[in-house]
Amino acid sequence: MPIPPSVSGTDLPRESGDLPPRNALDAARDELRADTLRGAGGRTSLERYSARVDAIIRQLHADSGLGRTSAAVLALGGYGRRHLCLYSDIDVLILFRGTIGADEEKSLRAFLHPLWDLGVVVGHQVRELSDFDTLETDNPEFLLALVDARPVAGERELFDHFSTIFHTASTHGFILRSLLDLLDQRHAVFNGTLYQLEPDVKDSPGALRDLFSTRTIALLTDPLLLRRGPADPARFDDAEDFLLRVRSTLHLEGERQQNVLSHELQERTADLLGYPGAEPRMRVERLMSDYFRHARIVNRSLQWARKTAPVPVGPNLGVSRDGIRFLDPVQAARNPASWVAGFEAALTAQTEMSEEALSCIQQHVDRYRADDFFPQARERATLMRFLKPRPGLYDRLSEMHDCGLLGRVFPEFQAISWRVVRDFYHKYTVDEHTLLTIRNLERLWNGGTATRFRFRSILADLPAPELLVLALLFHDVGKWRDDDHALESVRMAAEVLDRLQLPADQRDMVLFLIRHHLKMSLVAFRRDTEDPEIVKQFAALVGTEERLKMLCLMTLVDIEAVSPETLTPWKEELLWRLYVDTYNHLTQRYGDELIERNQAEVDEVLQQRPADLSVAEITRFLEGLPQRYLQLFPRDAIYRHVRLARDIKPDEVHLSLEPNDGVWTLAVVTLDKPFLFSNISGVLASFGMDILRGHALTNPNGLILDVFQFTDDERFLELNPDAQQQVMRVLENVVSGRADVTARLRGRERSVFKGTPRFAPVVRADNEASGRYTIIDIVASNALGLLYRISRVISHHGCEVDLVLIATEGEKAIDVFHITKAGIKLTRAEQQALTSDLQRTLEGSV
Amino acid sequence: MKMIKSIVRPNKVDDVKDALAKLNIAGMTVTEVRGHGKQKGHTAIYRGKEYNVSLLPKMEIEVVVTDSLADDAIKAIITAARTGEIGDGRVFVMPVMESYRIRTGERES
Repeated sequence: MPIPPSVSGTDLPRESGDLPPRNALDAARDELRADTLRGAGGRTSLERYSARVDAIIRQLHADSGLGRTSAAVLALGGYGRRHLCLYSDIDVLILFRGTIGADEEKSLRAFLHPLWDLGVVVGHQVRELSDFDTLETDNPEFLLALVDARPVAGERELFDHFSTIFHTASTHGFILRSLLDLLDQRHAVFNGTLYQLEPDVKDSPGALRDLFSTRTIALLTDPLLLRRGPADPARFDDAEDFLLRVRSTLHLEGERQQNVLSHELQERTADLLGYPGAEPRMRVERLMSDYFRHARIVNRSLQWARKTAPVPVGPNLGVSRDGIRFLDPVQAARNPASWVAGFEAALTAQTEMSEEALSCIQQHVDRYRADDFFPQARERATLMRFLKPRPGLYDRLSEMHDCGLLGRVFPEFQAISWRVVRDFYHKYTVDEHTLLTIRNLERLWNGGTATRFRFRSILADLPAPELLVLALLFHDVGKWRDDDHALESVRMAAEVLDRLQLPADQRDMVLFLIRHHLKMSLVAFRRDTEDPEIVKQFAALVGTEERLKMLCLMTLVDIEAVSPETLTPWKEELLWRLYVDTYNHLTQRYGDELIERNQAEVDEVLQQRPADLSVAEITRFLEGLPQRYLQLFPRDAIYRHVRLARDIKPDEVHLSLEPNDGVWTLAVVTLDKPFLFSNISGVLASFGMDILRGHALTNPNGLILDVFQFTDDERFLELNPDAQQQVMRVLENVVSGRADVTARLRGRERSVFKGTPRFAPVVRADNEASGRYTIIDIVASNALGLLYRISRVISHHGCEVDLVLIATEGEKAIDVFHITKAGIKLTRAEQQALTSDLQRTLEGSV
Repeated sequence: MKMIKSIVRPNKVDDVKDALAKLNIAGMTVTEVRGHGKQKGHTAIYRGKEYNVSLLPKMEIEVVVTDSLADDAIKAIITAARTGEIGDGRVFVMPVMESYRIRTGERES
């Protein structure tokens, strides 16, 4: 990130100050007047004058007592650039490290009053360092002036600290956008043309402000930008000197801040600047001819900079017409951890990596090892963001591969680079086949054909599609060897995932997908999927809907990447049928498959148990819960649930509430109680919580485990220190019957529960799918309190809610209730009465 | 010669192929097809939405055999493709008038 130059040394030196400030200023002005009268009021003179003013400021600073506080005086804007003209405002920022108290205010007055007494116009700003924690977006002119800030007096280290806070990519991006807006507004005042008969040498198009704006754009985006511009840098500097000389004469003649080169002043200026010519008209024509020549150079450079300058999109990254560039290639070459961020920025900006950036990576990539690319969690998170399927992912991955980065970041992938496996069906090398699977996923994301729409809806449901991309990237790396590649791919991918330090559940998901990436096509195309036993076995393998969705998509895009002809509509249909049958099995029949003592999965949970949990305690908790429980929850969650269930008594409710990445997880363990599920969902709704996912599970001993994941859109839990305790207290009171949730919900019901659903709700009852339960399948518009309304209706019909699956996908809520009445399935009449009531409730008619 | 065209369940293709191979019948054409006979498809429900699966995926296997092999081949196909349920498929047998090898133009009997 470019930082403006600053003076060296720890603290700024105080001038000797031979003259009192008044006399020093007069002397400095006399010197500048003399230079201007000689036609030499250009850059050198103005820098000298600015240095004289610096000395006066330092003297006043020393005399004021500001030096005894932790503060610094910074020159801003034109003064910061050392371009002070005779009557320019002197813009300063007095920056305090800490809070401004009475002593600081006293010193401040002692500094500013003598400055005002000098008769100069002072534009002063006073800030504490902490004020810069938040960007002053309502004051873009001030932010622009800060770009040119330099330290004049006081603590140098404070200025450095300020620079670190201020000069960030996001701040630069905001200032750049503001600058471009201000430019457009200013140009509009001049009708967008630089060819003014009486130009304003500060504000007209092509004048000084445009010149400084051009430099600022370069400073904020690419410090080397102007070297490649349409004008030779020397000519650009000449234009600056010329415009400053003209401005100095205008100030001198006008004896005020006069910037318009009027007809009257054109003659005098031409004379002072020494233009030859027998007649004043001829001298003026030459002056104005020079003016327009210089203004045109400035104007062209500005337009070029506007078109070419990379817009900052991240640390040392900018987007320009040729794609993402490293603003400082030398720094980029030393910092490989920033490279993947470049590709991620390209995806976000829907552009490509520039040839320059790719060459830089290609030139230096062999110096680094895999670990160098992800030294910290931040870089690992960037990679995972990068892998989210979006338009351009295949192209960016191909760029990474071509410049050698992909194989360096993942040596495991390098093993299949240009790898040829001869068989009857694959048409591409293994690496290209792999990348094509990701392109197919990306195309699915973008829409695809009508028959693919059903698969696209699965992809849209995935909470972490980047895990699927990760699995695709490594599903065939084991093909570097000639034998069974899936197991070798798992072994190699495990090493990658170790380096990426993926959470255990995500790691398991990726390895599962790689291990079984051929399984679904085998079952779909070579097994009799009309046999319920085949579907049952496949459902047992995948275990959860999320795994099923991922594996289904993986199979689809993998087959499609074999050759253009391989994925036929016939195969698509078989795959889809297996998906639907398995999905229905997973969501509707799991209540019939219960955990039994001595099964292998239980043994694993027991063997790895923490010291505080006994075999008996875990076994008692697990026995009789649906098998699905073991696949839904990671080990540590299972152990937490066992602890929650410890010593539970009939009138007790044991709760845990934990945040994770913006989503809260509530676990409730209790013994069976009437209206339990309805009460919990009602309490959450009463606090404005939006339930995303959840599971309600029951074991034969009457132990209930309800797990809800929800978002707190009103930030109640975040903003109130005792909010968690409050929610837990209300839950305990409502669940144990000491409080009534209906009263709590009255206000909310009026405001949010009613309303027209966005699509017609679907309610379906099924007595066949499960051996023990009546299944109520509900698809409805997601809304706050939806679950409460559904479960209340079910409870009012005298039904017991034994198992529930809650899922939310975009605007759609998909809830599957496993219910009984008096311990058995509902009769046909009972089903009809319940579904009618539910339908009316969801349509908002009751 | 006879042309035997069989429509079988997708998962039975390998079994049929193996059964024909045992009769030294190696040349065949296998095609993915969709259709229905008595098994008129069914309605699958996915998240409250009905999917009408009226045309079912099947595999079509075509072989041309000598008259003397035809009966054995038909038996082998039926045995290999049968599950006993509706949807097992059909076998059609047609006479072949003439057959030519394209590469050589040679007529085969």
